[in-house]
Amino acid sequence: MKRTKKMGDSAASPNGGPQKRSKNGRNGKNEREQAPARFYGTPLPGVHPEELSGSLVVVEGTDGSGRSTQISLLTEWLESEGFAVETMGLRRSFLVGEDIDALLAENSVTRMTLALMYGTDFFDQVERRILPALRSGLIVLADRYIFTLIARAAVRGIGRDYLHGIYELALRPDLTFWLNVRPEVAFDREFKKSQTISYWESGRDMSLSNDLFQSFIRYQSMIKREFEYLSKRHGFIELKGEGSVSEVNRELRKRIASHLGIRRTQYKPSHALAHLWR
Amino acid sequence: MFSAIGCKVMGASHTILMFDSGFRSIINYYASMVTATSDILDARLPAAESMPAPKREYPGALVVVEGIDGSGKSTQLYLLKRWLEIGGYRIHFTEWNSSPLVKSATRRGKQRRLLTPTTFSLLHAADFADRCERQILPLLQGGYLVLADRYIYTAFARDAARGCSPHWLRNLYSFAPVPDITFYFRAPLDVAVNRIVAGRPKLKYYEAGMDLGISLDRTESFRIFQERILNNYDQMVETDHFVLMDGTLRVNKLQKQMRQIVGERVELAQFAPQKPKKQ
Repeated sequence: MKRTKKMGDSAASPNGGPQKRSKNGRNGKNEREQAPARFYGTPLPGVHPEELSGSLVVVEGTDGSGRSTQISLLTEWLESEGFAVETMGLRRSFLVGEDIDALLAENSVTRMTLALMYGTDFFDQVERRILPALRSGLIVLADRYIFTLIARAAVRGIGRDYLHGIYELALRPDLTFWLNVRPEVAFDREFKKSQTISYWESGRDMSLSNDLFQSFIRYQSMIKREFEYLSKRHGFIELKGEGSVSEVNRELRKRIASHLGIRRTQYKPSHALAHLWR
Repeated sequence: MFSAIGCKVMGASHTILMFDSGFRSIINYYASMVTATSDILDARLPAAESMPAPKREYPGALVVVEGIDGSGKSTQLYLLKRWLEIGGYRIHFTEWNSSPLVKSATRRGKQRRLLTPTTFSLLHAADFADRCERQILPLLQGGYLVLADRYIYTAFARDAARGCSPHWLRNLYSFAPVPDITFYFRAPLDVAVNRIVAGRPKLKYYEAGMDLGISLDRTESFRIFQERILNNYDQMVETDHFVLMDGTLRVNKLQKQMRQIVGERVELAQFAPQKPKKQ
């Protein structure tokens, strides 16, 4: 796995001297290779990065990429391996999750307001659920992360530097997977699932086309371009999301297992999740 | 518990962005405001993207008041507004933290004490963004004189007093148009605090800065919190070109000064009522 070796400006060891990384004796991690800083920039107020002993695994990908399915399966697999899992995603904060749903339902909200509400939603989850989980050594599975938020706002003309400035308070993931699918495939899968295409997933607020299919394809292509850029920048592990659920899952397990030092990567979903395995 | 982490200013390379020349002026504008330094920022971005730009190319004008609670700013802005309203000028008045879209979230967050310094700040920024995009910017473009009771400097002073990083805050609000006049009403801490404490049955939790755990006594906590905010305001007088107003002067005297300054700095004639043309 290729990781960005660049350090953040603020955190971690200033002089490369022999640094004790406390509580980090987990197998599988190369002790001599210095881990990248846990935050992109200034850590959130009041947070001490060295306390965070858990791992943050991000799965990104558009609707229809199979992201949520994979998160369900990974949760079960990790729990069966004895790891406690916490999940996060978009609009799941207690603080503003439902408010964003309400904003999306009406069309009076503008791009900056929405971007900042998503930011509030993100940091509320991080501060109230994710940081406590990481302090307790849990594995956090993120069903989308700052990259989706940055990509969505950037295609709407909000500066990338501005967005990165807001999210520099965010935790840097240990692993970021990108389930890449072509917009046409995402369209088929989404349509099959819900018999329609959502207003926001087709970027209809951007007046790209009156043809819903065209609008969806153009919007998702724009998002994909942002992701290609973000992928290079942040060292995403790109997986072909068009493969079967079990193939993608095997690849995910392989990478996560090597990060966590799990030897056995065999997994068969339980009866409850068997319907996802196709 | 109130650590210096949030106030740490990172010294690192200033970001140069590769943009099409058409956007350069905007970028230069941001480069001066945003001193973002995290390592994810030094990218050569693939295409030009503009911020919702706070261009000064609008016919309107923006006058804002700032100051700690009890400094007299709202009274003075109200009187200024009455003066202009009675004169028939084209004005719009907007208040901090008043967007209907964001209101329920803010209320819930405050009532249930869910807000951290970061989410407190972001939620207020969302509120401001909504008013900015749907009121302030369109009205400035439509040639209005916009009066704002509290503006981005409230966030800079107050959120930094809560521990948010000043440079992060500057970036967060960098989409805001720069005011034509920023009146800073300054009253001594005791005067301001006594005005508030005397007039209010109970200080609210966040208002008193209770989330910072400075003191269990609300009045005492409020006082210390306001002092920090006052210090942060004072530091912006030079950098942000505040017009300093003495909040201890008599109300009518202060108002006279304020009207005079507005008359000097803003071309009021352009907001005056149009005389009907003779047929």
